[in-house]
Amino acid sequence: MQGHQHPGEGEEKEELGPENAFEKSPFQLTAEDVYDISYVVGREILKISSEPQGEVPTRVAQLQFKIVRILEMLEALVNESNLTVEELKMERDNLKKEVEGLRKEGPPGNAEQLSLGPDKMIIDLTDPNRPRFTLQELRDVLQERNRLKAQLLITQEELQCYKSGISQREDQAGPMEKESTVCRPSGSSKSNEEKTIIKRLFSFKYGKRI
Amino acid sequence: MAKKTYDLLFKLLLIGDSGVGKTCVLFRFSDDAFNTTFISTIGIDFKIKTVELQGKKIKLQIWDTAGQERFHTITTSYYRGAMGIMLVYDITNGKSFENISKWLRNIDEHANEDVERMLLGNKCDMEEKRVVLKAKGEQIAREHGIRFFETSAKANINIEKAFLTLAEDILRKTPVKEPNSENVDISSGGGVTGWKNKCC
Repeated sequence: MQGHQHPGEGEEKEELGPENAFEKSPFQLTAEDVYDISYVVGREILKISSEPQGEVPTRVAQLQFKIVRILEMLEALVNESNLTVEELKMERDNLKKEVEGLRKEGPPGNAEQLSLGPDKMIIDLTDPNRPRFTLQELRDVLQERNRLKAQLLITQEELQCYKSGISQREDQAGPMEKESTVCRPSGSSKSNEEKTIIKRLFSFKYGKRI
Repeated sequence: MAKKTYDLLFKLLLIGDSGVGKTCVLFRFSDDAFNTTFISTIGIDFKIKTVELQGKKIKLQIWDTAGQERFHTITTSYYRGAMGIMLVYDITNGKSFENISKWLRNIDEHANEDVERMLLGNKCDMEEKRVVLKAKGEQIAREHGIRFFETSAKANINIEKAFLTLAEDILRKTPVKEPNSENVDISSGGGVTGWKNKCC
């Protein structure tokens, strides 16, 4: 109350008196206006109790108008606020439904929305036949396979060589030594590195000849 | 018996679309056999066959490639070491014939400049399903200055002739010197080590 100036105390011209709060639309009321209304009502009540009895009926009538106006404003505000609450409740329920719907459709919808680049593919990790080795790994396996295949062929040739050697030896005991040396490529140091188990077996069996 | 297994080693390569019969052509030549079931070659394989030409024993190491595009990076690394390349198409498959220019480009890109090339139109036993005329094959071969045969691995037509002709063409270009097969390094590009030259 203290902060409020009385109309007669020379306030600025633009500022209307506290009575003006009663004229405003209830939806434009501010806290200041409520204080003004409170001030005006208080002043009226004070007048009733302090002034001569003859004045009372007039004063009460004036106060009654003000109280009716206050109740009207209160009614308008309550109606308005109830309406707003209803609207907000409806909005909330709608949003809840929307969220639930999105959650249900969520996972599959998401997978399809995954935007893949032009050169990408999706791999099904549960597919036992899914691709899972790299080209380099395949390359290594193929090289190893072909290396072993080459070694097998070499070994088969060697075996053939020694088989012939044996039959040769059985046929003619004499030139055996010569034959077995010719059997090896002349001047090849590399072939020495290639002593297979078979070769070692034969060298053991036939001594220094091989 | 007092002889080495071979005097020279030639590395050959088979290329062409998937399913034209590269593996069957090779199998016919190396094992004189034919199998109708189609098993796609995985990456790269090889076979060995020794032939005799002009009194020389020539060991042919023949690399068989997968025609499928997905093995392309693996197979092209084997072009470099090849002395002869057989480009195979299927006379019953027009697409395989159209792709010849693509395969020829691959040769230009990845093989040695002096590689001996040969074009084969395979499956010539299937006359009723033919879509590529023999004249078309002859024409494209002539345009590129390479030899051409129509072959059938199944009916054993021209298979041996094609391989021997290719080997002869390579032999003709091979400098005449005392055979020293130790110089032939077959491991290059092929990853085959420890082959070297062999006893009998």
